[in-house]
Amino acid sequence: MDLLPLGSYTFSSRLILGTGKFSDTRTMLDAVRASGAELVTVALRRFNREQMEDDLFGPLSEIGGITLMPNTSGASSAAEAVRAAHIARELSGSPFVKVEIHPNPQHLMPDPIETFEASKILASEGFIVMPYISADPVLAKRLEEVGCASVMPLGSAIGSGQGLKTSGMLDLIIRESTVPVIVDAGLRSPGEAAAAMEMGCAAVLVNSAIAAAGDPVAMAGAFSLGVVAGRRAFTAGLMPKSGHAVATSPLTSFLGKEP
Amino acid sequence: MITIELNGNKQEIPPGSSVSDLLALIGSIGKNTAVLLNEKIVRPENRSTAFLQEGDRVEVLIFAGGG
Repeated sequence: MDLLPLGSYTFSSRLILGTGKFSDTRTMLDAVRASGAELVTVALRRFNREQMEDDLFGPLSEIGGITLMPNTSGASSAAEAVRAAHIARELSGSPFVKVEIHPNPQHLMPDPIETFEASKILASEGFIVMPYISADPVLAKRLEEVGCASVMPLGSAIGSGQGLKTSGMLDLIIRESTVPVIVDAGLRSPGEAAAAMEMGCAAVLVNSAIAAAGDPVAMAGAFSLGVVAGRRAFTAGLMPKSGHAVATSPLTSFLGKEP
Repeated sequence: MITIELNGNKQEIPPGSSVSDLLALIGSIGKNTAVLLNEKIVRPENRSTAFLQEGDRVEVLIFAGGG
């Protein structure tokens, strides 16, 4: 069985789903089911009596086989992220936390310093810490050293659909990491998810590409297939690249020509 | 009535109200909520005995969609 290990947990699905930006809760739940995801991200928000349907804990629990990974979005400092993680653990009972600290709404790039500080504290407290980071091999290694269960570098900016713009750096992170590397943001298509998996990513986290698709439920199923195809290709081992042509058919003994 | 701060807004409640009473008042009973009273987490088993005072700050939080 090819399982994804994260902390003391293992998952058979390597597609992690975000739950934001869906047109309605029912579509989101159907997409989660269609994706086969076992790890799902949610955000902590103030209760608003005008938006009663926002409470996703109950509906997601009913799917079964789902582990929640609350994120710390909205936090702009390590202290705020740690506080959010504590509250989220109280609510979810899950040891997972996606550390996400992006102070600038213009580009949503993660703050490496605050992310490192929060991750270090939360890992020491026993959380299974999954930090969302820029594709920075040095930061990834430092996060691994302080006990993060994974690192989650971005493929491109959150919600941009720009794909694997950081593939060179991702490749470096994958080669140097001893924890699973999960591409977290920017993917647009199942083909890009497959490409990330073929590179050796352990999993991908997808939200906008599914939520903003014409048919989110069908797209969730397509991403599931893309991730499986990419993973199988990686474990099968891709052929070596060559700078010149290498014939696949015999070039000799053709219609009377002697070798 | 006494006035507390609920999720950043003023909220009037009857004197002697508990956190559970407040949750019933705002319609969040049955929802999966995390509650902070003056920055401290109030677990579900303690909500009916956590009584609110004038000026208390309460946060009621849920899980919403996020990526």
